[in-house]
Amino acid sequence: MEKNLTQIALFAALIAILGLVPKVDLMSGVPITAQSLGIMLCGTVLGARNGALAVLLFLFVTIAGLPLLSGGRGGFGVLAGPSVGYIIGFPIAAFVTGSIVEFWRVNVGVSAFVGAFIGGFVVLNILGIIGMSVMLDKTLPEAALLALPFAVGDTIKAAIAGMVTQAIARARPEALLSRA
Amino acid sequence: MSDTPAPLPVIKLDRACVTLQGRKVLRDITLTLSEPRIGIIGRNGSGKTTLLRLIAGLIAPTTGQVRVGSLNPAQDRKAMLGQLGILFQNPDHQILFPTVREELGFGLRQMGLSASEADARVLQMLAAEGRSAWADAPCHHLSQGQRHYLCLMAVVLMGPQTLLLDEPLAGLDLPTQARLSRRFACLPQRLITISHDPASVRDCDRVIWLEGGAIRADGAPAPVLTAFEAEMERIGGADADTDLSD
Amino acid sequence: MLTLTSPTRTFAHGLPAGAKLAVLALFTVALFAITAPLAMALCAALVACLALSCGRSFALTLVRSLRALVPFVVVLALWHLWLADPLGGLTIGLRLVTAVSAATLVTMTTPLSDMLTLFQSLLAPLARLGLQPKPLALALALMIRFIPVMLDRFGQLSQGWRARSARRIGWQVVMPATLAALDDAAHVAEALRARGGVA
Repeated sequence: MEKNLTQIALFAALIAILGLVPKVDLMSGVPITAQSLGIMLCGTVLGARNGALAVLLFLFVTIAGLPLLSGGRGGFGVLAGPSVGYIIGFPIAAFVTGSIVEFWRVNVGVSAFVGAFIGGFVVLNILGIIGMSVMLDKTLPEAALLALPFAVGDTIKAAIAGMVTQAIARARPEALLSRA
Repeated sequence: MSDTPAPLPVIKLDRACVTLQGRKVLRDITLTLSEPRIGIIGRNGSGKTTLLRLIAGLIAPTTGQVRVGSLNPAQDRKAMLGQLGILFQNPDHQILFPTVREELGFGLRQMGLSASEADARVLQMLAAEGRSAWADAPCHHLSQGQRHYLCLMAVVLMGPQTLLLDEPLAGLDLPTQARLSRRFACLPQRLITISHDPASVRDCDRVIWLEGGAIRADGAPAPVLTAFEAEMERIGGADADTDLSD
Repeated sequence: MLTLTSPTRTFAHGLPAGAKLAVLALFTVALFAITAPLAMALCAALVACLALSCGRSFALTLVRSLRALVPFVVVLALWHLWLADPLGGLTIGLRLVTAVSAATLVTMTTPLSDMLTLFQSLLAPLARLGLQPKPLALALALMIRFIPVMLDRFGQLSQGWRARSARRIGWQVVMPATLAALDDAAHVAEALRARGGVA
């Protein structure tokens, strides 16, 4: 019981710091904010339920007024802006990612990559695009165009989530709740 | 380990000051470091870790100059990698990769070696140290002392001429302390050891006492450490330390 | 950690958080119902006046927080100029800025603790479904307590990277950072259990 709670709290903190620290290099020279990677990792490492709860806790505090979203954003403004679909999508993405890793019991790196891709890329972008479509008064295909430039980077992020999860599985097999 | 045939570059600080978050952490540090074994002693909060980071080039001086040989450590980062290595206090805050092989190879690849060249050197060093079995081991499976060793190997592999050691023996059990100390004594590099414990720096050629961000004493170990220990005893005798440093 | 609440106290700081949120919700719904550019401009002006009435530095902070909208505004501008529908673009852009500004106004005039208390009371009915209030409060406190701790550790890992690499910090540091979160969670769970557990 305590372990669930502390993992949720600490991974919520992890998402926060990944938005606060400077961008990291994706691969020689391309910087990314690691926050969305953190959200994928909540799913791949903690599993569906705890991963989603960690993201929800993070959003709870951020919307209440702490500038923890990458770029120093926070408060109710994030729900009123064009990224609202993504914000709402974050916990859902973590849940989908975690579900795939929990139930598709192949090599954890593969499962984590696929989970992160389907949850953190496909599902998240569907919700994000719907959000942008509503907020910017554009059709869905038009909104999808706005999300397109980030597609390659996001796919690479999912691959990184796979690799990190695999490394964690090797280093701390007992800690990987998604495969407990 | 390779020998270092060339003379060690001199480390010069000229009125270097460091101000961090509004606080003056280092004031007017002027030093010329050329001895093979140098110790920097000070209590917690004296600025010694900042001094280490300054010499290593991880931070730049707010005013004043720092030079390692002819290089400016904060700016010539790539050249510095082969010049100066740092061993931080806590291996868990330093080990970045899951396996020993990857952790040891990281610095070499960052210096420009190809993955296969780096790997070859790593395996060569592990064999020379009698630790070939470590190659594919997860870093997590190493004991605390072994992790200190791992970090040392990772830094030495990059072939630096100077090594900065931050509290190298802190928190280790006595056998591990003895082993590591022996290892350090054999290293051909110049060693600059930062510590709050006089025992770690007693065998140095020169000891510098840092207090409140400034140099309090500088010279042979015996007199400096005697004065240091006396002062620490005096401070410890008073019931102070109630101020919040922020 | 600095919150988004404005330090200069305004008339709105004293108003109850729930009331402000309710008004904000209604206002935002109304904004999305409006189509006429003039009506939208009036709403924008209303929010601007509210912001200015809270002080010049307050209004400036609010405007600066709208930074994240700039790329969207630019895209909208280009898009609608291309479609030769500048008025439509202006209306949507105004709606965007007005909605976000109004929401930010509420955040800037409500202390974090008030907002958290409001959220927790809104979630109270869920206690019957298993979401207990005490664990939530504890999880909240732990999260906020550990943000500076983890920032510090990330800084040390970054330092370890920069000591061996001249290049910018790579994604690989996310791995030890994540491991550290797992380890800290285990230690804190142990400490909690030693002090009586969560219940």
